[in-house]
Amino acid sequence: MRRRDFLLASGGLSASWLLAACGSRGPKGAEKLLKYAMRKNETLERGLFRHTSMDAPSSRWRNAGAALPKYYISDTVPVWDISARGQWTLEVSGLVTRPLTLTMDMLQRLPRITQRVNHYCVEGWTAVETWTGVRMSDIARAAGATPDAKYVDFQSFDNDYHESWDIESAMHPQTLICYGLDGRMLEPGHGAPARLFSPVKLGYKNTKYLTKIVFMPKRNGGYWSDQGYEWYAGT
Amino acid sequence: MAVDRHHWFVRVTHWVNVVALVIMIGSGLQIFNAYPMFARRGMTFCCYPFAGKAIPHWATFGGWLAGARNWHFAMMWLFVVNGIAYVIFIYLHGEWRDLVPRRGDIRDSWEMLKFYAFVRKKHPHQGKHNALQKFTYFAIPILAALAVITGLAVWKPVSLAPLTNLMGGYVYARYWHFLVMLALVVLSAIHIFMVFAVDPYSIRSIVTGKYNPDRAPELRDARPFYHIFTRARHDVDAQA
Repeated sequence: MRRRDFLLASGGLSASWLLAACGSRGPKGAEKLLKYAMRKNETLERGLFRHTSMDAPSSRWRNAGAALPKYYISDTVPVWDISARGQWTLEVSGLVTRPLTLTMDMLQRLPRITQRVNHYCVEGWTAVETWTGVRMSDIARAAGATPDAKYVDFQSFDNDYHESWDIESAMHPQTLICYGLDGRMLEPGHGAPARLFSPVKLGYKNTKYLTKIVFMPKRNGGYWSDQGYEWYAGT
Repeated sequence: MAVDRHHWFVRVTHWVNVVALVIMIGSGLQIFNAYPMFARRGMTFCCYPFAGKAIPHWATFGGWLAGARNWHFAMMWLFVVNGIAYVIFIYLHGEWRDLVPRRGDIRDSWEMLKFYAFVRKKHPHQGKHNALQKFTYFAIPILAALAVITGLAVWKPVSLAPLTNLMGGYVYARYWHFLVMLALVVLSAIHIFMVFAVDPYSIRSIVTGKYNPDRAPELRDARPFYHIFTRARHDVDAQA
């Protein structure tokens, strides 16, 4: 085979490979490479991350209100059943000096923040919402999170949904444990009694139906992160 | 007699770019299909007539949203590094002189259009590329850079908030990213069409680097599907 024919043939082969790959997941062998790129991207994203980078939607953009989708992984809207489970509490534990068991009353007595921010969904949509709640950094201070707490796991009563976060993102001033949405108490469709919400992470990282906040030395994956979505998912 | 036309570095970066761009566009369209519209929730969007219509499966890559995202965020590095390497090379090696439009290229583009429309008989005189090609090949790296910048604004709307705000916010950043992609698709489609319809002999030059100047479109007076197999004009003159 002449060099020119070989090059032409290999060009044609790679073109047909490309065409065959359309609509597919791509070659299986590439998965390691994709994971490697994901880790490198995470390093870059964590390098770019600043507590002073704030999300600030324009006043021209309307709040989503009822247009905000309701997502949960249970078959029906998860509702905290007091008769079966007793009073709802939020447990703060792990690498802390003062483990907490917060009732809704106690949560609402902590410094209250109301913020109007963007919601960035992994699907590509965005929505403006006004959230009311408590800064995660205030909760970490109240519980006395220790310096070796590098990650935080946010757990729920929605079929064991959880997502773990890097501590820097959890301590961002716009990362809140929310009990209010658009001036009203949070509804079950959006994660009542309380949920995590921050514009610095994609929607799926923001655990709804929150029951436990666990400070940890290592990351603990998450519901979607374990299925192939990025664990870091920073915005 | 064949002459050297494209340096090996240009040929390698061209084909690497074909792979990177096809995967970037395919995975981007798969990501787009998770929300095939632009409106912010609770608002409307002015300028996209196909809202809600998914991109056909054959044009997508990655299989599902997470797969496509992982491909997109990995392949972007190949796209960026390859693109930067190409621009640095053509700057240092001099190929940019054949690509940067000059005064007169606007008029020559008009002459080319007239020629393709059979208004003008003779192919306008050209160098390595005709004026329309120069504008196209000059626009491609600029569009690629815009694709990367708008992409960064969509990827990191909080960390790079000033960039995203400059584009009118996340919704518009995503829209500009989409339009830049569309422009790249249109120019690539024209490029591929013209290669096969006007100068199939140039395929050899982007694979092996060799080109037969006797087959140049100017000498054949080649329009799409016209004079593909015609011999060079000076041969004809010589026989007459």
